Amino acid sequence: MNRWLMVLFSLMTTTVFAHTDSDSHANLGDRATELKEAGESKNIHPDLTEIRIMHPDFMMHKRDKTLRQGVRTKRNSLKACVNCHSSTDKNDEYIPINQQGQFCSTCHQKVGTSLDCFSCHRSTPKEDL
Amino acid sequence: MNKRQTAVQMDKNLNRREFIKTTAATTAGVATIASGITLTTYANVASENPVTNEKRWGMLIDTNKLTETDIDDMIDACQEEQGWGSEILSTGDQKSGWIKKIKVKDTATDRISNLALMCQHCEEPPCVDVCPTNASMKREDGIVLVDKHLCIGCRYCMMACPYDARSFVHEELTDQREHMPRGKGTVESCTMCVHKVDKGEQPACVEAVDSDAVIFGDLYDSNSKINQTLKKIQSAQIRADLNLNTAVRYSGI
Ligand code: SF4
Ligand code: SF4
Repeated sequence: MNRWLMVLFSLMTTTVFAHTDSDSHANLGDRATELKEAGESKNIHPDLTEIRIMHPDFMMHKRDKTLRQGVRTKRNSLKACVNCHSSTDKNDEYIPINQQGQFCSTCHQKVGTSLDCFSCHRSTPKEDL
Repeated sequence: MNKRQTAVQMDKNLNRREFIKTTAATTAGVATIASGITLTTYANVASENPVTNEKRWGMLIDTNKLTETDIDDMIDACQEEQGWGSEILSTGDQKSGWIKKIKVKDTATDRISNLALMCQHCEEPPCVDVCPTNASMKREDGIVLVDKHLCIGCRYCMMACPYDARSFVHEELTDQREHMPRGKGTVESCTMCVHKVDKGEQPACVEAVDSDAVIFGDLYDSNSKINQTLKKIQSAQIRADLNLNTAVRYSGI
């Protein structure tokens, strides 16, 4: 089981790198773009490779801590990901982050891994943000 | 309902907890507001520490004070807070119902009481016993939840629950509340507004009632209003015969 996971992982990472060999992402999201332009992104994700490869593990760890132990800190919270990485359309409405061409789906489609967070989780930032 | 047994059981628990409590340091600020009743305040920030079994959250519903309008307000508040109830494709029994208005009639006297019935947050929850994936779970502080990451939608827990407190989501949903993920194929129920409780707030349905017909608090804290009231007045668990030791209790039935 673990061996196959490793194979899958290495496949995924090579594709992610192929996709984002320059440090850019097709659609970073509104807030994240602002932060990047302000030179703040390093404070949030000190190591891009790490967050690209490890984000499922971070979120898995956080989800258990939040739900089962009531630890509701912002670090590694899915809400915080959505808040920064969502984009708005021309009417200033948020586009669901898992829709085609949006932050989550661009990579996930590329590497062929399905993404099931948003059948339950809200896929746009809270209205009053 | 076996009230005496309930009371004895409650007492035993309170005593054991009180013992643990006195040996543990408390970090929350406590202010005395009236004759021995204290108001505990928590800083409104997310805690880094896991919840512990030094607390057990509970509710006391006084059916003599609770009007039918209050119950409707509670249901509305719950729907608004948690975002259920606007499913369009689900019909009849498929509809979600986290909190319901129940009429109980004493057949001997024809006296009718109205209850608000939600997940009773049992100490021994049957839904947790039957769940094949460990999705149905009880937090250390007694709040019973569904971990939808693990729920496979088998609905065993719905069958096992004596209070019919759980619902199954039958359709795809969007625009969920940010704090309350809900989705097709998983089971859901009252969370005791855990997202609010963790911030030191009261559940939405408790806030919706103006009178003190619904009291929320820590059952183990001998300074809490709920603990003190339970010591003074006659209260009951619904289906106390099942020995589940529910955290939601009723008086006046
Ligand atoms: S429906 Fe979900 S929570 Fe309920 S018993 Fe089945 S897996 Fe567990
Ligand atoms: S505690 Fe919260 S989730 Fe439970 S019935 Fe009340 S409002 Fe609904």
